[in-house]
Amino acid sequence: MAKTINEKKLTGQSISVKNANLWYGDFQAIKNISVEIPEKKVSAFIGPSGCGKSTFLKCFNRMNDLIPDCRVTGEFKIGETNIYQKIDVNALRRNVGMVFQKPNPFPMSVYDNIAYGPRTFGIHKRSALDQIVETSLKQAAMWNELKDRLNGSALGLSGGQQQRLCIARALAVKPGIILMDEPTSALDPISTGKIEELCEELTKTTTIVIVTHNMQQATRISDKTGFFLLGELVEFGDTDEIFTNPKDVRTERYITGRFG
Amino acid sequence: MTVLNAKNKEKAGKAFFAAAAVICVIAVAAIFAFLIIKSVPAFGKLGVFEFIFGDNWSSDRLDTYDSPLSGTYGIFTMIFGTFTATIGALLIGGVFGYFTAVFLAFYCPAVPKRIFSSVINLLAGIPSVVYGFFGIVFLLPVLSKIAPNNGSGLLATSIILGIMILPTVVSLSKTSLEAVPRAYYEASVALGANHSETVFRVMTPAAKSGIIASLVLAVGRALGETMAVVMVAGNSPNYPDGLFSSFRVLTANIVMEMGYAGEVQEGALIATGVVLLFFVLLVNLIFGFFSKKAVTASVKKQEKHKITYFNKQIKRIKNCVYSFTHKIGAVKICKGMAIGSGIFSAVALLLIIGFIFVKGLPQIIQKPSIIYGKYEFASENITILPSIVTTLFAVAISLIISIPIGLMTAIFLNEYTKNNNIFIRIIRRGIDILAGVPSIVYGLFGMIAFVPIFGGSSSILAGSLTISIMLLPTIVRSCEESLKSVLKSQREGSFALGAGKLRTIFRIVLPSAMPGILSAIILSMGRVISESAPFLYTMGSVISAIPNSVMDSGASLAVALYRLSGEGWYINEAYATALVLIIIVLALNITAEMLAGKLSKKLKGDNA
Repeated sequence: MAKTINEKKLTGQSISVKNANLWYGDFQAIKNISVEIPEKKVSAFIGPSGCGKSTFLKCFNRMNDLIPDCRVTGEFKIGETNIYQKIDVNALRRNVGMVFQKPNPFPMSVYDNIAYGPRTFGIHKRSALDQIVETSLKQAAMWNELKDRLNGSALGLSGGQQQRLCIARALAVKPGIILMDEPTSALDPISTGKIEELCEELTKTTTIVIVTHNMQQATRISDKTGFFLLGELVEFGDTDEIFTNPKDVRTERYITGRFG
Repeated sequence: MTVLNAKNKEKAGKAFFAAAAVICVIAVAAIFAFLIIKSVPAFGKLGVFEFIFGDNWSSDRLDTYDSPLSGTYGIFTMIFGTFTATIGALLIGGVFGYFTAVFLAFYCPAVPKRIFSSVINLLAGIPSVVYGFFGIVFLLPVLSKIAPNNGSGLLATSIILGIMILPTVVSLSKTSLEAVPRAYYEASVALGANHSETVFRVMTPAAKSGIIASLVLAVGRALGETMAVVMVAGNSPNYPDGLFSSFRVLTANIVMEMGYAGEVQEGALIATGVVLLFFVLLVNLIFGFFSKKAVTASVKKQEKHKITYFNKQIKRIKNCVYSFTHKIGAVKICKGMAIGSGIFSAVALLLIIGFIFVKGLPQIIQKPSIIYGKYEFASENITILPSIVTTLFAVAISLIISIPIGLMTAIFLNEYTKNNNIFIRIIRRGIDILAGVPSIVYGLFGMIAFVPIFGGSSSILAGSLTISIMLLPTIVRSCEESLKSVLKSQREGSFALGAGKLRTIFRIVLPSAMPGILSAIILSMGRVISESAPFLYTMGSVISAIPNSVMDSGASLAVALYRLSGEGWYINEAYATALVLIIIVLALNITAEMLAGKLSKKLKGDNA
């Protein structure tokens, strides 16, 4: 059973987008974006509020499908698979995990939170689940913190712990890519630091795309940075390059704090 | 292959939920179809105009559609009576309700307020036969001291109806009063107005639409109320030409005569139901208009034109403050009314519950066989055990039918509908209409739709099916509310892990929504136990032996109370029955409230 699903699982780790456009009703939120996101690196999207970076991020796991009147055109490829063709969206989301702006642990135990994904895909054996829970928590560097309270409610954890639990939960289905939508905007500096460390650690196995409001965060953790403005991807390149030697004057004005 | 299966499973799930929603719409259509088909011959024979505007009703059960009429069938006295009683109820319940809401929102300290608010909710759960019974045993004797008759008539009806609509007015008005932005209060006080001036000149006007909506909804309740009115109105088909003259309302017409109705008479009674339904739906339409206005007004206030609206409000406050010096007397009277009404409502409540307890408890203690005695035909020793069994049957069957359909409809409406297409709008409108149909009209529908299916005589099954449909709208609405309360981020979290819709609904959404769903179930139980009008001509109204099967007929507890209090010989047994009813309903309501509180606390993670 599990094996059949594994075969069906989309396994790509790079993202390639050509001529992407997205509308909410009549409003065009994404304007003709093309970008190549490399595998096993941290890529950051920066830009002022409402510029479409979160919207663009949600195209990669088709979370925008949940929004009424949302229309997407263009080519989105994860590995070799065009994800806006007829595919199994659930298999896509299994490969492309997501961490949200506000931590959203389910109202169940720590253990059940992490086991939720694997159980979704048909793993019910206790020993296998135990193994997955332990590995995921270790990967998220919180095994030592939580190993004695696996059966406690996830809602009793602190905000930072909850967010790292959500990362562990995403890791439990072994995704090739993890999308992070401003994952630290609701957290204190110490928790933020822990999550940033975690991101770097995760690039050994996983591609990470992170949306952030915090330019320092982008410089600290990302290999590639993309600057969004009014639905356009103004510039995408090596982080050092973008921050020290931006090609576009709008990027320069933004990173030097003239607007945004 | 597995992928395909999963997809089919999702599709089947959606179809299942949609089917439940369709059942709700079919129910509405069936009610209208049956009532219209059954009333058209009567309207044809009697003439629509003559039927509605004729003011003489003297029915003859021997009238048939093929022969000339010997009775006359005009319901205008009853239309007039219905509206007069409603206005009377509004004068009492509306005024006291409004001021009680103001008292609770702005004058009452926190702890008594919490107790008082939940007690008001309990008041809403008391069966209407108990109100009627209270009217017979307490109100009528008191009024008879000043009345030329036994006290029944317009005044008694207005008082009882007034108390019955009180909870509706109080809780809805209180909600809209509390929704007025705190900033208005502060702005007014900062300009030198005192508490009462601010309350009556700034806060109350700002909540106007919501308060009007609550009054309109209360009118809908009063128009459709049946049993309590039947028990205190006197019921002769005359115009109410004084506070104590016997008169008849539309609902009472159906209850009084349906039991022995002949061919044309039955048609005329169903036609009465159609007229009643028309009025109630009209009122609900008006309610929809005002509550929409209230919602848009508050959205406007809070979001769209925050600043302009606020400035306008400040200007108004200033004007008010200038005029205070002239009108301080009025504000003082209002303040007095608010506190007085709060006390009045509390006293009325305690009186009803206390009176039944004091009178009923000794009966049960002296003669406990009332509750568990063996039924004997034509015996002086009344026992309500058969009624208790009948009621339990009705509760079980109706919940088994209505909870799954209602919950699935709610799931469909809340989880599967991204946009408001015509199908969704029809379902929602259908549920709104169902919610407005008066209970006696459900009774009529059950009588002409279900009773013939099950052999033409009343049965527990026919009664339970009838009440199942009646429960649907409340179950759908409260389940939808609790589904809505589950955060969107929870669903996103599940979808983002690759879980499908069904898994997300059953593993994430439903467990979180469970407290609300459970309390909806418990409140529905209370409703089945409280209702009597839908059962009279569907399930039966004779207190007889313990039913052997669901095809037997029987009187539920509430119907039994109606019978016992009407006959006059068994008033002690009636007290005992009323007490049993009140205890069950109060226990259910309190359980529902506690359960919801406890589980929602647990969900917030206090136990971690």
